[in-house]
Amino acid sequence: MTCRLYEEQLSSYLDRELPAVRAARLEAHLKTCLHCRGELEALGGIAVQLRAASSLVEVSHDFDKRVLRAFGYWHVTGWQRPVKSYLRPLVVAAVLLLGMLAAAWHFFTQPYEPAPAPSPAYSVGAPATPGAPATPGAPAPGVPERDSSKRK
Amino acid sequence: MEEAVRSGNWSADGRLAAADDAALVTACAQQEPGAFQELLSRYRRPAITLAYQMLGNLEDAEDVAQEAFVRVFQAIPRFRRQAAFSTWLYRIVTNLCLGSRRRRKVTVTLESVREPRSADSPARSVTQVLMTRQVLEAMSPELRVILLLRDQEGLSYSEIAEALRLPMGTVRSRLSKARRSFRQIWNGLSEGGEEQS
Repeated sequence: MTCRLYEEQLSSYLDRELPAVRAARLEAHLKTCLHCRGELEALGGIAVQLRAASSLVEVSHDFDKRVLRAFGYWHVTGWQRPVKSYLRPLVVAAVLLLGMLAAAWHFFTQPYEPAPAPSPAYSVGAPATPGAPATPGAPAPGVPERDSSKRK
Repeated sequence: MEEAVRSGNWSADGRLAAADDAALVTACAQQEPGAFQELLSRYRRPAITLAYQMLGNLEDAEDVAQEAFVRVFQAIPRFRRQAAFSTWLYRIVTNLCLGSRRRRKVTVTLESVREPRSADSPARSVTQVLMTRQVLEAMSPELRVILLLRDQEGLSYSEIAEALRLPMGTVRSRLSKARRSFRQIWNGLSEGGEEQS
């Protein structure tokens, strides 16, 4: 077997994922091959390089807050849940109150519209015919009003 | 721990910090606010660094990680637990990164690599970090992600297979190819740098 074929196994060997028989063959090769030993060491160094590169990444201090805010504000802290439970009835009450105020405003700001004029036969306060009393019991024009106190 | 799950009393005695991921997922499904924060504190950095190494830009990486966490948290009540939480999260981060990369081309600049804060970090390490970023950029996304999941995040072959939905044999061969590709590109950059100097 050439070095090239062994090289393909180095990665799995590094991760202890190579079957035992093939691992034993590779180990025997590594004892005699300086090139493959160097390759194995270099492959193992990749993890070190990647972790060194990632260790310089600085996470923003408000990352958690941003995530939790995007997820839903009531999950940010425990005390906000009770607030939320009180908030819902308050919002419902506020909406109902606003509805009532709007209805009241609509009612009181409507322009006054008098009732439609009744037909002349049932008019009150206006004489139906010339000379007739305008209201029941009212003296007709030209007829002196009787003094009811005199009758007693 | 099971008692805490049943009673829902998590945060009073600091059990969240000691809980394993599966128990935290249960607590999240019960809408325990502290459980979400505990999962965030455990996985924010791995998620962001994975996204950063995939995308090459910290702002984009945080956006992707944020999107991944929100998706995971929203779907936790429906999580079937056939895979580990971390595998699930990495799968979402990976898919978002691959989708994001398809939409735009990424370039590596010196400014995109932050300077280390500690005074004892030599400039050489910054150069190596920049070179590492360049090597990752030059690799295909499929090879890069498998290399990062194994060598940066430390996932096992079976976890990678689960996260990327690949057969184990493909994981093994692709990882071998990814490592050799990284080495070849690294050597090419090193030789180029030496010739220039």
